[in-house]
Amino acid sequence: METWKRDIVRQLKHRDRNQHAMFQDLIRLYSRLLEKTSLTKGLLSSSSRHPSSDSSRSISSLVHQNNQLKKTTGELAYQVVELQQQIKIKECVLEQQHSRLAEQQQRVAGAFGARQVLQDRVEQVQEENGVLKMKYDLLLEQQKGAEQNLREENVRGGHLLEDMIHLKQQAAARMNSRNERKSRAREANLQKQLQNATGSKVTVDSSSSAPTSRSTSPKAANHSNSSDRGHTRLFRSASVTSPRILTSIKGLFDRKRRGHSVCSVDEDRMFPVGICLSARLPVRALQVLDAHEQGINTVKFSSSSDLMATGGTDRLIKLWDVRAGLLTHRSTLDGSTEGVTCVDFDPTGLRILAASYDKSALLWRLDDSVPKLTLTGHSRKVTAARFSGLHQVVTGSADRTIRLWDLQRAACFQVVEVASYCSDLICSENSIISGHFDSKIRVWDARAVSCVQELPAQGKVTSLDISADHRQLLSCCRDDCLQLVDLRRRSQERMCFRADGFKCGSDSTKAVISPDGCFVAAGSADGAVYIWNVSKGDLETRLPDKHSSSISAVSWSLSGEYVVSVDKSRRAILWSDI
Amino acid sequence: MADDKDVLRDVWYGRIPTCFTLNQDEVTEREAEPYYLLLPRVSYLTLVTDKVKKHFLKVMKAEDVEEMWFEYEGTPLKWHYPIGVLFDLHASNTILPWSITVHFKNFPDRDLLHCPSNSVIEAHFMSSIKEADALKHKSQVVNDMQKKDHKQLWMGLQNDKFDQFWAMNRKLMEYPTEEGGFRYIPFRIYQTMSDRPFIQKLFRPVSPEGSAHTLGDLLKEMYPAAIPNEGEQKRYQVVIHGIEPLLETPLQWLSEHLSHPDNFLHICVIPTPTD
Repeated sequence: METWKRDIVRQLKHRDRNQHAMFQDLIRLYSRLLEKTSLTKGLLSSSSRHPSSDSSRSISSLVHQNNQLKKTTGELAYQVVELQQQIKIKECVLEQQHSRLAEQQQRVAGAFGARQVLQDRVEQVQEENGVLKMKYDLLLEQQKGAEQNLREENVRGGHLLEDMIHLKQQAAARMNSRNERKSRAREANLQKQLQNATGSKVTVDSSSSAPTSRSTSPKAANHSNSSDRGHTRLFRSASVTSPRILTSIKGLFDRKRRGHSVCSVDEDRMFPVGICLSARLPVRALQVLDAHEQGINTVKFSSSSDLMATGGTDRLIKLWDVRAGLLTHRSTLDGSTEGVTCVDFDPTGLRILAASYDKSALLWRLDDSVPKLTLTGHSRKVTAARFSGLHQVVTGSADRTIRLWDLQRAACFQVVEVASYCSDLICSENSIISGHFDSKIRVWDARAVSCVQELPAQGKVTSLDISADHRQLLSCCRDDCLQLVDLRRRSQERMCFRADGFKCGSDSTKAVISPDGCFVAAGSADGAVYIWNVSKGDLETRLPDKHSSSISAVSWSLSGEYVVSVDKSRRAILWSDI
Repeated sequence: MADDKDVLRDVWYGRIPTCFTLNQDEVTEREAEPYYLLLPRVSYLTLVTDKVKKHFLKVMKAEDVEEMWFEYEGTPLKWHYPIGVLFDLHASNTILPWSITVHFKNFPDRDLLHCPSNSVIEAHFMSSIKEADALKHKSQVVNDMQKKDHKQLWMGLQNDKFDQFWAMNRKLMEYPTEEGGFRYIPFRIYQTMSDRPFIQKLFRPVSPEGSAHTLGDLLKEMYPAAIPNEGEQKRYQVVIHGIEPLLETPLQWLSEHLSHPDNFLHICVIPTPTD
């Protein structure tokens, strides 16, 4: 034990001894004495009032009893105090429980309130549900009605479809039988002609020039309606080369065949067929005029060479008389709702066909400015529309289809899906030739409408033209090159025409072969017309400085006299050699 | 330790023999006998003097009785100091028994607090305990106690039940071992010569270096005059519970064992008697 603690303990003992132990008994005894004296005093005072002779023993016993009673009272008092404390504690507990009870009651009341609110909401939701259910039932009924209607309509639609299929089948059968009849008649006719031809002798005098060609050319004879000047010019231009004579013989052949056709009344109609023996190379601009309100997209001479049609972005087709080296405005055909992309005359020269940006092709009679037919069905702009015989039209479109139309029914009877944008097409005797943006030229059988040949090109094909003898096919491509293919030979042999400065101006730039097949012509983006010689294969001439913008199309009159070029800035120029 | 427990017990059962005499000026029906009582050092005057009051009321008229108060040699005794402190401070070296004069008139309002009932004493006692715990444990221990625990402390003191009191007071004396003591030692240093009632400051039981502070350290800090200089006559006595602990006694131990039930270490510094 530490010193300080020992010291403390010792001091405490010492203190208690001095202050506590020494006085403890003394004070206790004093207190008792004090009590006794006070008691005695009380007794004395009471005994003075009742001076009876109570013995001291009874007093002492009373004192003793009193002491005991006091002691008991003290003990009882202590117990009372203790009990009171217990009561206090109990009361505390009771109070706490009361407060807890009150709290619980409050919470119960709160819960009742919440339950009431929830019940209200349940009722509300049930009511809403009822309303919704009613609505739902109503809708269900409506739906039933609608379904009933739908079924009926479906049945009706099925009937209609059946009827339509039936009608179509009938129509197809009729058409098949007619086509068959037609082709059979033609073959018979051809057979007959061939027999005639082999039977008759034809003498060809190679040294004779003008008189021979004049007498042997049925075209010249037929050209009674053409002008005297054109007649003489044709006569003068007739050269001595053998291919032209052969052409003239072929022309005679064609005429006869048509003349003996027995298939239909329409086919019997006579129409002029121009054959050009020699085209003349244009050197001068005879006339420069602003032909349209907006850019000109296409130009075409009719087969009679005295009529020309132009089509422009201004939605109009204009017809021009070509007389004495001058273009005279004859009439305007309207009806297209968008720009015109292509025009074509029918073989009789009485009707004109136009392809339009408005996804349709339109047919006019020349004497009526209102379109006779509108052929709709393409889903994008129509880029080319050509007659394929008198009653059939072929159209090509940017929607990658080619459609064949029957003009008598004014309906499309065949749709050919092609893989690529069709930019132009040409109708030959029994085939359709189309040019596409996938650098392919496709040859289709006109009857079966199946692709029989694919010719490659160098780039996007912008236009096609076929020579008058249907042997040479000219195509113009975006790689600034014209390409001439011999269709008969079925070879990949081809001639390409290029020139410094020649540039294909657009996706629809149109190039042509001269009617005698000796030249090809095209307009360039620089505003000059380029003409190549086919036999030599190089550039023959260039006609610059008249156009101020890219040339969109050129056309060569069937007589060989004129060339017309049109450009994007609405200018048309008539060229000739005079 | 058994010794520590004995110290606690001795402190608790410390008694002072006292003689109460009625003031001469009081009007009495007959002569009042003096009353002797052993006063517990750790209790309060007004809590243990019911018998005294009863004794003197016997000889007095009811109309002459006002609030009772006590006086020693002209000094009114503050009932809110523990009895032991009053004795050590005012009557340390006098002859026993301690003679206190009882008054029923002329209550010295400027010097004393009124004490109408025991609940006032209880409130004072509990507030002291709370203050001490605020210093020792930031009030955590006393706040964790329930109301009945507080009641047990008070009832232990009121009924002089050592075991009852210490069963609860033990908790107030606990401290985290790693800190070596309370946050601050709750102490009060009383002196007779000053106007200040007592000195009370913040003082940690352990020095910043980690060594335990002693009673000497505390006095050096709070009351340097109480420590005798080298070779000089001792001028002051440092008295706790009527004894003078050595200055090297650790302060923490003193606080735990020699504190009054109100949890304060009451230290009296009194002049050394000249004779």
